[in-house]
Amino acid sequence: MANIDRIPVTVLTGFLGSGKTTLLNRILSEQHGKRIAVIENEFGEVGVDHQLVIGAEEELFDTNNGCICCTVRGDLIRILNQLLKRRDRFDYIMIETTGMADPGPVAQTFFTDDDLKSQFVLDAIVTVIDAKHFEQHLKEMKEPAEQVAFADVILLNKTDLVAVSALARIERRIRAINATAKIYRTQNADIPIARVLNVGAFDLQRALAIDDGFMQPQYPFEWGGIYALTRGCYALISGADNHDREHHGAHEHYDDHNHAGQAHADALGIVVLPAPAANAAALEAQIEVAVRVFAEPLGTVAFGQTVFPGLAHYGLDVSQAGAAAMLQIDAVGAYAIFCEHAPQEFNLRLQGAQLGAQQAFASHHHDQEISSVGISEAAALDPKKVNDWLSYLLQSNGQNIFRMKGVLNFKGEPRRYVFHGVHMTFDGQLERAWGASLRLSRLVFIGKNLDRRELEAGFLSCLA
Amino acid sequence: MSSRAAFLEPRARLTLDDYVVDLAWSSTGDSLAIAGGEGRVFGAQFTGHDLNARQLGEHVLGALAVSYQPNGRLFVSSGQDGAVFLFDEYGAKSKTLRPAAVASEHLAFAPDGKTLAIASARQLSLWSAVGELLRTYAPMPSTINALAWDKPGRDLCAATHGGLTVHRSESGANRRYNWSGTCLTAAYSPNGKFLVSGMADGAVHFWYLATGKDSQMNGYPGRVTLTTWQAASRYLATGAGNEIVVWDFGGRGPEGSRPIQLSGHTDRVECLAFAPNGGYLVSGGRDWRLSLWLPGKDRLALDAHLTDSEPSVLRWSPDGRFIAVGERKGHLSIYELLQS
Repeated sequence: MANIDRIPVTVLTGFLGSGKTTLLNRILSEQHGKRIAVIENEFGEVGVDHQLVIGAEEELFDTNNGCICCTVRGDLIRILNQLLKRRDRFDYIMIETTGMADPGPVAQTFFTDDDLKSQFVLDAIVTVIDAKHFEQHLKEMKEPAEQVAFADVILLNKTDLVAVSALARIERRIRAINATAKIYRTQNADIPIARVLNVGAFDLQRALAIDDGFMQPQYPFEWGGIYALTRGCYALISGADNHDREHHGAHEHYDDHNHAGQAHADALGIVVLPAPAANAAALEAQIEVAVRVFAEPLGTVAFGQTVFPGLAHYGLDVSQAGAAAMLQIDAVGAYAIFCEHAPQEFNLRLQGAQLGAQQAFASHHHDQEISSVGISEAAALDPKKVNDWLSYLLQSNGQNIFRMKGVLNFKGEPRRYVFHGVHMTFDGQLERAWGASLRLSRLVFIGKNLDRRELEAGFLSCLA
Repeated sequence: MSSRAAFLEPRARLTLDDYVVDLAWSSTGDSLAIAGGEGRVFGAQFTGHDLNARQLGEHVLGALAVSYQPNGRLFVSSGQDGAVFLFDEYGAKSKTLRPAAVASEHLAFAPDGKTLAIASARQLSLWSAVGELLRTYAPMPSTINALAWDKPGRDLCAATHGGLTVHRSESGANRRYNWSGTCLTAAYSPNGKFLVSGMADGAVHFWYLATGKDSQMNGYPGRVTLTTWQAASRYLATGAGNEIVVWDFGGRGPEGSRPIQLSGHTDRVECLAFAPNGGYLVSGGRDWRLSLWLPGKDRLALDAHLTDSEPSVLRWSPDGRFIAVGERKGHLSIYELLQS
């Protein structure tokens, strides 16, 4: 279907107070020369002269097509059809959902209604997050994780109210849920419009923007550092001094401590390995060993325990400030330390030691039940097998798969097969030729309780 | 063309600077009210040969519907701005109603012209012809997609997701005709025996009003948004993609029967209307074509005309002599039905 004359639609989600309305008002009042119609969940929130703002009453319908999760927004079908009855067309349409809304039905509306499909194209789901309250909301409700899971673009807003170290942590938690969304840090929802409108996230004719970083290998740890150490006992200190702004300023009950205590169940995985030298190359050389050791079960978790270099997976208690563990070094040399989470999160440091080199790693630890699974494969696929597998998968597990997108390498097909889906609704077609580029199939699932092994096995069964 | 037993003769035409969203004829057949997608409300005078229009009002964010008072000279319009304008016999705006915080999508004067039903999202209200609120009904389970009065004007039907609700206007009592699906239209057969609804999931559902028994015709390629009854109540015409599917409610009824399929449009049929008397049917399609049919007699169009853009609305004059055709690009044409 030609996108040229279809009107792009942006779906805006986010909790009350996240900055959604600020973003809308900003977009509407900026001088960009575009005609934008806004469908908001209530009348009167957004108010800019000469702009078309329509109030909608969120109205969910089952589509009666036998699919239990195909719920659509009846009000949108009606309102969008009305918008077509205007002489001048709109350049963009923005749909603001209520704070607690599940973005699924809005997106599905554009997949299941043929009339709308011919006139409108879902451009992107944009989720605005209140950086200050996001972690608390994540703990208490299911909606924030779902809104993050559905998003193509995430505005991590109100960054001025949160310490830099907390922002990094929040961003990691967002990444653990949705590995492919673009994340922008904003204050007062201030962002160039081009990053929010006409993004083309659902546009099959543009190459799928799957973040390459996501396809890189995943590690069970987020950080590695290497130290030159002499014989002796070194304290691994957590928390305590060097309070960052968050500790001081906030009269909040969820600061770094609480987060550490609850999200990581008191234990921070750590592995210490002897290395030939205290440089980056030596650290690199220890990664493979560290991955193997991290696969071992955690040892005892006791505050102040002694830790020895070697093939042991320790759990540190970082829920309280002080010497979480003592590192016993019996021989002079270089030692690599791999840490499950970035040490900055816990203000964790090795007292009296000089860091030789360090490296951050992409990690996919699932402290969320909603997560992303990415699969990448160079061998060609059999289209029929893929079709059977995806049909089975969506029928059996469509409710749990929120978003799915991919580029596939079909055997004997010179063009890329590109697809995306929301729950059980699915849209795919052959697109640009592979040409000289590497014929690599890549797909991403974002959803609830995803089983990576099962998905990988299913995918591999589709090889031609 | 077959025998040209009947044809449509162009009589008058004008161009409005707006998308024609809705049209309504006055009972005398000499005036029309027109709602424009950009928001303008026009009044037009038709002499049989000449057609002149002037703007009478404007709904800021787009007009949605117009309804003319049967046996009277008043008409109403509604718009995205949430307002309902009441116009007097001179075309002057006499009153502005605000039935709800949301826009009022459907307006329907009762057949006696004394009351006006207004649907605003889930809310249904009843007004006097001079704009006094008579009654607000309990909110519907979901947004009202269509309104229809039965011929005597005793019952008012609202189509919503999950079925039809019929309000007895005198007593305020109501009756639900439940069906799991989205009812997009509501149409009473003129003989009062049937109530039909076009469904979002590609079906036409209908109820026998005497017994409450229901039945369904399936197999449509998409949403059924067009349902129109022949005056004699024998045929129900429905839009089904490029085709018109006509069900025969005579004899044993439509169940198990094969419908009459009227083919000729090369793109989707967008509007469809049976004449208020006689058996003629007019259709307008995305193929910019206007066709005249006589279902039950002829499967081919008796006459066809090309329009200047997509026809968006068709309305027969109350005497069934003329048909007004509104178009997407603002054209308004009037044809006379002639029989040789």
